[in-house]
Amino acid sequence: MKKRLYLILIVLFASFSGVMAQVKVSGTVTDPEGISIPGVSVVQKGTTNGTTTDADGKYSLSVSSANADLQFSFVGMTTVTEALNGRSVINLKMKSESVGINEVVVTALGIQREKKTLTYASQQVSGTELRVAANNNFMEAMSGKAAGIDIKTSNSGAGGSTKAVLRGNKSLVGLSEPLYVIDGIPMVNNKGGQPGSYGGVDGGDGLSQINPGDIESINVLKGANASILYGSQGANGVVLITTKKGKAEKTTVTISSSTMLDQVSGLPDFQYDYGAVNNSDYNWSKTKGNYQRDYIKNFFQTGVNETNSLSISGGNDKTTVYFSYSNTSAKGVMPTNTYQKNNFTFNQSTKLFDDKVTISSNVMFSDEVSRNRPGAGYYNNPLTGLYLFARERDFGSYKTHYATFNKDRNMDVMNWYSTEEKQNNPYWEINKDPKLSTTKRAIASVKLAWDVAKHLKFEVRGNIDYANKLNDNRYAAGGNSVSVSPNGTWSYSKYTDQALYTDGILSYNNTFGKFSVNAIAGASYQHNTFSDGMSVGNGTVSLMYPNFFSFANMPYNVMFNQGINKVIKQGAFANVQLGYKEQLFLDLSARNDWASTLALTGNQSYLYPAVGLSWILSQSVSLPEPISFAKFRVSSSQTANEVPFNVVNPANSINGAGTPSGIGGIGRNTQVPFTNLKPEVITSNEIGTEWRFFHGRAGLEFTYYDDVSTNQFLTLGAPSGSGYTYFYVNAGKITNKGFELTIDAEPVRSTTTSWKTSINLSQNKNKINELIASQPNYQVGGDDEGFASIIKAGGSFNDVYIYKFNRNDAGQIILDANGNPTKAAKQVKVGNVNPDFILGWNNTVTYKDFYLSALINAKFGGVAFSKTEAFLDSYGVSKRTADARANSTMPINAIKGTTPVTSIDPEVYYRAVGDRNRIMEPYIYSRTNVRLGQLVLGYNFNVKKLKLPVKEASFSLIGRNLFFFYKKAPYDPEQAMSTGNSMQSNDVFSVPNTRTYGFNLKVTF
Amino acid sequence: MKKIFIAFLFMCSLAACTSNFVNENQNPYQITDQMLTQDFNLLGSPFSGLLFNLFGHQIEEDLVHDSFMGYMNTPTPFVGNVNNTTYYIRWNVYWDRVYGSVMSPSKQVIDLAKKNNLPLFASWAKFIRLLSISKLTAYHGPVIYSKYGSTDASIGYDSESTLYNTFFAQLDSFQTDFSANKSYVGFKKFDPSYNGNMSAWSKLINSMRLRLAMRLTNVAPALAKAQGEKAMADANGLIETNGDNFNVSLLGNLIPVAMICFQWDDTRMGAAMESFMVGLKDGRISKYFSAADFPNLYADHPSVPYKGIRNGAYCDAKIDKVPYSRVSYDFNSVQTRRSFTAAEVKFLKAEAALRGWAGAGSAKANYEAGISLSFADWGASGADSYIADATSTPINYVDPKDARNSFTARSTITVAWNEGDSNELKLEKIITQKYLNNFTNTLEAWVDFRRTGYPKIPHVAKNDSSPDWGVIPADQWIKRMPFTTGERNGNAAAVAAAVSTMGAGAKDDIATRLWWDTGGPNF
Repeated sequence: MKKRLYLILIVLFASFSGVMAQVKVSGTVTDPEGISIPGVSVVQKGTTNGTTTDADGKYSLSVSSANADLQFSFVGMTTVTEALNGRSVINLKMKSESVGINEVVVTALGIQREKKTLTYASQQVSGTELRVAANNNFMEAMSGKAAGIDIKTSNSGAGGSTKAVLRGNKSLVGLSEPLYVIDGIPMVNNKGGQPGSYGGVDGGDGLSQINPGDIESINVLKGANASILYGSQGANGVVLITTKKGKAEKTTVTISSSTMLDQVSGLPDFQYDYGAVNNSDYNWSKTKGNYQRDYIKNFFQTGVNETNSLSISGGNDKTTVYFSYSNTSAKGVMPTNTYQKNNFTFNQSTKLFDDKVTISSNVMFSDEVSRNRPGAGYYNNPLTGLYLFARERDFGSYKTHYATFNKDRNMDVMNWYSTEEKQNNPYWEINKDPKLSTTKRAIASVKLAWDVAKHLKFEVRGNIDYANKLNDNRYAAGGNSVSVSPNGTWSYSKYTDQALYTDGILSYNNTFGKFSVNAIAGASYQHNTFSDGMSVGNGTVSLMYPNFFSFANMPYNVMFNQGINKVIKQGAFANVQLGYKEQLFLDLSARNDWASTLALTGNQSYLYPAVGLSWILSQSVSLPEPISFAKFRVSSSQTANEVPFNVVNPANSINGAGTPSGIGGIGRNTQVPFTNLKPEVITSNEIGTEWRFFHGRAGLEFTYYDDVSTNQFLTLGAPSGSGYTYFYVNAGKITNKGFELTIDAEPVRSTTTSWKTSINLSQNKNKINELIASQPNYQVGGDDEGFASIIKAGGSFNDVYIYKFNRNDAGQIILDANGNPTKAAKQVKVGNVNPDFILGWNNTVTYKDFYLSALINAKFGGVAFSKTEAFLDSYGVSKRTADARANSTMPINAIKGTTPVTSIDPEVYYRAVGDRNRIMEPYIYSRTNVRLGQLVLGYNFNVKKLKLPVKEASFSLIGRNLFFFYKKAPYDPEQAMSTGNSMQSNDVFSVPNTRTYGFNLKVTF
Repeated sequence: MKKIFIAFLFMCSLAACTSNFVNENQNPYQITDQMLTQDFNLLGSPFSGLLFNLFGHQIEEDLVHDSFMGYMNTPTPFVGNVNNTTYYIRWNVYWDRVYGSVMSPSKQVIDLAKKNNLPLFASWAKFIRLLSISKLTAYHGPVIYSKYGSTDASIGYDSESTLYNTFFAQLDSFQTDFSANKSYVGFKKFDPSYNGNMSAWSKLINSMRLRLAMRLTNVAPALAKAQGEKAMADANGLIETNGDNFNVSLLGNLIPVAMICFQWDDTRMGAAMESFMVGLKDGRISKYFSAADFPNLYADHPSVPYKGIRNGAYCDAKIDKVPYSRVSYDFNSVQTRRSFTAAEVKFLKAEAALRGWAGAGSAKANYEAGISLSFADWGASGADSYIADATSTPINYVDPKDARNSFTARSTITVAWNEGDSNELKLEKIITQKYLNNFTNTLEAWVDFRRTGYPKIPHVAKNDSSPDWGVIPADQWIKRMPFTTGERNGNAAAVAAAVSTMGAGAKDDIATRLWWDTGGPNF
């Protein structure tokens, strides 16, 4: 009843304003080809009085004055203001707002520039586009939507980390991930630990804490050329996030709700017909049995991810505000895995002193709780025991009785038949080994902008990004003795990450005849204090009392560790953009940094420059009609990177607990003092061109880049006899060359139907030209249980080396005296973990009130490796081992002594090749995959027609990773086991890939 | 204009001073030398770590000389069962521990001792270096010692003869320093082995001289005799009671063999130990090992429930060998490791007596005292009947899971001393007992084996030696560990020079004999 009353009031109010109107205006709005455009917003300027064109592009509006100004706006069209001047009919032909012509984009430090003037590549993605498939993580949603960005998502589920690399890997020891920036200010994106072969859990990163709903748009600055003003932090490119702000005279309340379901879509192919003999761990019986079949599939559950959010924005001429709240509640495909997140965001902006000063602030708070986030690797992983389970046994009883009472200890211990280090009862693992990870984070900024004089503006900003993190992993007593102490194991860490940032920027914009000047000068100060906290872990040293996880229960020989990582960086920077006749632009930048981590080296202050030139051909010469815009650009820059904390002159540490009665010994620092340490240097050059055709209905953007990284910070073992154990050098040369191509078009545009399509294609070629000239065999990375991902001179970043079969010159596999296939003596390179080409093809089709969005993601080239499959084979649980057994022998082109061998016993073969560290040749796959990345079918409610009491309402059905058009690897290489540098394109019992589907409902009041 | 000035002023204040950078780049959770000067901790505090690192762990000992000598062997078919234990080198890192955790920190101690005028700490550190390097040279042969810490581009190795002469000269100087400071208490707080007892260290210095002298019996008999007699004549004495044993603190860590055995299931009793201990009815067996899991594993001697794994065994699946004998569960609670025991000294003296060195006493008395001391040290009973047993001999070994690993015992000795035996047979008994005593401290047994050929352990069942690391013929055993890859690549000239000191045709491989391993007769 009450609601209805409000409605009546609203309607009354609306009609009241109608009563005031004195002049009626009408007309038709069309595009340049004369096709009418529905949905154009027609507003009497300076008021809230307005309407939209109907399906035929017609509108009718009553305005308060015959001299009013009407403003016509529509997405993709240039906004037009028409003075009424007494007219009652205004028919308008709107012009396409060609991207690259008048688009204003946010560049480094939040400086707004017209895109056409930029001398480097950047690509903008709208928040709407990011949110269309209801991803929880905005970077996951970026995949395929911008050229040249290689994104992998951790398969650990909600709250997991992502790995994004622009223009290839540049740093040997660091992660070559871009800098993330919120409204001009760098945000912290510290990545937690990642799983390796032996185990571990994704430690998350800083991106999951951002609410995608708060994002207005993202602009990707692809190279160092674009990001020099951020200094070294921007050397790997920058992802600029512009958050939503309140808008004057427009109060909106938006409620959005999505429910997404995750299902395991890519389990390995198992066999359930052959069990083990003699209670073995290995399923090599030759006799078929009738065994349980569905327990692997049934182990996983349907994941559910529910996100509900509310945002309110509004304001007036002086003040605008925006508030949002979002809640995510999820459970993963792995039982007992849950994730909860709450986000609060509030920002405001107020104009003071005759609008000369603007004070704005932004606060983002997030709270994440992850329980039992799934990991990978051998240890404490439920999937090893689940997959390798001896088929002839009764899985059901192990499921029900995962714990068994031990009389000698008067407590429960794990019930499992195998004592192998990598095997656990999967139900014991998920129920008795609880893992908790929480993040509480606040990002708060305040900004003061002052229009000092007509062409001069001064801005000062301050920001604090503070996160409190807890990781608390408990492993119950009575678990696997290799990884869990007899009384249980506790791994605990609690620490804070804090980044203080402040800058002041003076900007000057003016035009002198044919010349324009946009100049800025500023200084910044950053003080980062990361990993400031403590950690303790008893490993396999026994706790004093079982299953009591407390500091008080730690024995004397477990050390409590404290850590910290600090960097102070001061920067001074300047940038001048000179324009000539709106067609030639010269961009000059320089930045000087002072970094505390280089103190004592004499190199703590370092300067680096950038220069760029762009020429808008279409402004200079008259081009054929179909070409509406043409531009060429070239730029070159150099950035320098500070080195890690506390490497110049470290002190000593206490390296052990000592004896029960004595004191712990001191570990002397045995690093060579490194007082001539230099910053790392990255030089990048790029050329590009941008074209728009047919009034902007189609366009092309192409960039070629060539980056060189030198003076890499490398650790090197000191010569044994030198008196030291290791030292650091500045060495190495890494090049990344490649291109980025974006093509977009709107092939169909009519009153009822439109089809927009865009293709993002990129290639990166990485080459490690040199690491340490005097040591040609120096390499970063090494063999990891039969899979080596290696960086060394002459190769490229993360080349894969494995053992192949030992073959003779005729290509026959050499069998040993017992008939086992033999392994080649040395590992050989079989490819690289990184793809050669990355393609994203995005399509949006609208038909009346319906829309359909389809994204095809493809990565071509590279290799993937599966140790999971190698284990499944050696344990005789893969389907192919059953198929081979059914035929009793399998063909082989081999030789034993001098006798050719053409068939081999499957058990002999698979036990020789499978498992870890054996002949990994059969487990290398093509990395290439092409998928339907997202498919969204939506309906925009015609709120007027349906007389809904809302401004907008939409409903969509969403699918992500629905299916593969092409995939050869037995898992999804983009749903990554690790988002670190090693273990890329690798699978060691990590969570199987999933497909996601669900729906989203959004209502705006 | 004024406003612009204010703005500039603000920006200049941002680019503040960088004077705190040095402090900001220090880790407050590291301890500085300045802090360590309090209570005179600066020099002494690294010693427990130096001592701890005299020993290695799995890939330095368990998969190297523990396996080579048949003490322990792995049930795990590491790297496709082609690895160190089958004479194909996969792990070779003891060198890194010696230089990284002993030589490098001790250099700082020596430098600081000089700076702080505390020369005894320098002597102590140098002696621990000698203990460490004397082990490393038994691994590789020539090593970096006298030129350690130089700034030469390529740091040269000392030949083995140079090393041993240096060792003996240094032992003279250490003994002078230590015996002149018998009442010095400055080590007390930092010495988990002897609690700062200078006399105990003096005994260890003499005992080391005897151990090193004995290594040279075949290659430099005169030097060996002179140094051996010197060791036995020194007034400070030798380690001759178990109370003087040189034990190294585990610093709260589990003894590696227990961790590798119980937590990782990666090591089990060696078949050679089974052959000797079951055959000779050795009472220490239950102190060293625990019973195998299933009676069918030791069906060849059902009343003695132990089963070992052959050195260099064929091993198809770990599960087959996991139920074999683990080490004794007592190892889960030990706090120290034996590094030099009175029993070993007795066996050294027994051999010295055999060789007619002055001051050695009777071979028989030393031999029997060694056995008694060893039984007492390990808490085993039945030493007397064991010493008197003139009939029991080592048994043949049967691998119940894989017959390829079974072997016939090469030795036919008994325990009981017989004055009528040849010197060779007596030496075999002495070295065999020395071997049985040195469980968990196995490097010197590998030295003795290469020097004397005793104890008569089996060959590896599976010999994967190849030209990659050197070929070991079927009638031979591994002779040494190659130089590390890091040195081969990073210090190639010095490695080549070192190899050239190892004799004509020497190669940096596992088949090249060390200096004192002459292959010649023992007498």
